[in-house]
Amino acid sequence: MLLRTQHKSRLWAALAALTIGTTLLLLSVMIWWSFSELLYGKKQNDAMGSTYLVVGKRVTEQNMGQKNATIFTAQDIDSLGHAAQVQDVGVITSNHFPVYAMMGGRLAFATDLPLECVPDNFIDKMPAEWKWEPGNLNLPIIVSSQFLDIYNYVFAPSQGLPQLSEGSVKSLALNLKVGEGDRAETFSAHVVGFSDRIGSVLAPKSFIDYGNQKFGKAGVAEAPSQLIIKAKDPSDTKFGDYLVRHDYTTNSQNLRWSKIRAIVEVVTTATGILALLLMGIGTLVFILFIELTIARAQHALTLLLQIGYGPHYLSRFMIQRFLPIVLGTVIFSMAITIAGQAAASIAAQGQGLVLPMFPGWPVWAALVISTGILVLLVTKSISGAIKK
Amino acid sequence: MQLSLQGIIPVPLAEKVNAYQSGMWKNNRTFNKGEYVFIQAPSGTGKTTLIHILYGLRKDYTGDAKWNNISLANTDNETLAGLRTNSVSVIFQDLRLFPELTAWENVDLKRRLTNTVSEQQANEWLTRLGLNEKKNSMGATLSYGEQQRVAIVRALVQPFEWLLMDEPFSHLDHANTQKAINLIGEVVKQHGAGMILADLDENNFFAYTQTVIL
Repeated sequence: MLLRTQHKSRLWAALAALTIGTTLLLLSVMIWWSFSELLYGKKQNDAMGSTYLVVGKRVTEQNMGQKNATIFTAQDIDSLGHAAQVQDVGVITSNHFPVYAMMGGRLAFATDLPLECVPDNFIDKMPAEWKWEPGNLNLPIIVSSQFLDIYNYVFAPSQGLPQLSEGSVKSLALNLKVGEGDRAETFSAHVVGFSDRIGSVLAPKSFIDYGNQKFGKAGVAEAPSQLIIKAKDPSDTKFGDYLVRHDYTTNSQNLRWSKIRAIVEVVTTATGILALLLMGIGTLVFILFIELTIARAQHALTLLLQIGYGPHYLSRFMIQRFLPIVLGTVIFSMAITIAGQAAASIAAQGQGLVLPMFPGWPVWAALVISTGILVLLVTKSISGAIKK
Repeated sequence: MQLSLQGIIPVPLAEKVNAYQSGMWKNNRTFNKGEYVFIQAPSGTGKTTLIHILYGLRKDYTGDAKWNNISLANTDNETLAGLRTNSVSVIFQDLRLFPELTAWENVDLKRRLTNTVSEQQANEWLTRLGLNEKKNSMGATLSYGEQQRVAIVRALVQPFEWLLMDEPFSHLDHANTQKAINLIGEVVKQHGAGMILADLDENNFFAYTQTVIL
């Protein structure tokens, strides 16, 4: 009787507003959480989520030529490890022994080749062949992808040489002569991967340690002159200030990527705020609909009060009628969000990223909080309208 | 339960009351449990106002109206609802039925509040008042006399200590009036309740213990 005065079209409109608002809110939290997962979450997504920077001490007019001026001490490394946004610090160890690379055939060349090594967890994609033990004459190496670009787009066209794909480079063998004189050893090096993080040629740490120990020049500092760091958000001004304060240099391209990521975050946050606004409007529309329904049933409510029905009983009755509608809407919105998360997870998989199939706790928290607020507002508005 | 009125002057009737120095208004009156009170007054002197004040519907008066020690003017709707469900029942002059509900639904809506009267009993009372064929008719389609009888049964399907009636037989013929009087008399007696009947003319429907002339 109390609900007979409802206009079905108005009910549907109010439901649509509430559903759109709730769904957008949950989806925006889901999107924000998914981005967070991709950017900062699982280890598998580190390549996307964190920025890897190679840091060195700036060579200036003042320190130029000074011994150890650009060397990182243990204290420096520890301090950098505690700097804002820094998640991990790795030492880049370079070779202190002569390495001479040669190749025959159409691509014949011979050059001194500096090698470096980084801890394995700083390598972009760990190749299966990435291991070396003393006595092994085959040496896996990882080359900066910039080298291949320079060769393909600068060197090869100017010299009339064929351009090379990553696959063809991997099939080439490079002769490395390590050490000097009678003690020199020859290895057959194969490119097993390309790195976007390191701008040089990487060899396994065991090989660099072996070479430095066996062929290293006495008196050459063993302390590193370059570090590689994994930073959460290098665009953070605190991090930038730290680098400036310590006069460190780094590759600025990565900082630009961080800014793009920061923009993505701003857009996500803005979407969240917009969704919150829409949910607010949706809730308002639904509550206005409830109050309109109660206002239209005012005559019946008054009669019921007069024959002995108490305000609490009537409020409870109305709440029991409207709450299932609210909860149904929330469940529907959550179902859409779960489907959205599953779709995002599948799409991420296609891109080689890992995203959970089910929404994370922030989405569930948003669901609980928004449902709680909705239930509270609906209950309060019904009780208030009936009291009036 | 005792009903009492202490120096009541309804705001809309203040001028009239002051002019006529009515016997009811302004003075103190107490109605004790089990009394049968007849309030006789011509139209426009405030019978309905008095019933509404006694039922706690109107609060626009000076003085005090009480159910035992509960001052009606200061009582919240929740407490009033409790008392209306269990202690005081009413037959309104304008009936106040739900036109979109059937005769039975109107009665049952009240009956279900306490469930102290069985469906069978309520149906029997409707039948006694000649409404057997009309139980499933919508309130809006009933004649005023039929609606009056539905309102009478609705007032009886709850526990009460007082039954307030505002011209309850105004649209009933002699036979139906007699049936209603008999039914009301039986049920009121069953409850050991009191009744206050407001009507235009002197009548001897019940054995009144007090007659108040407004």
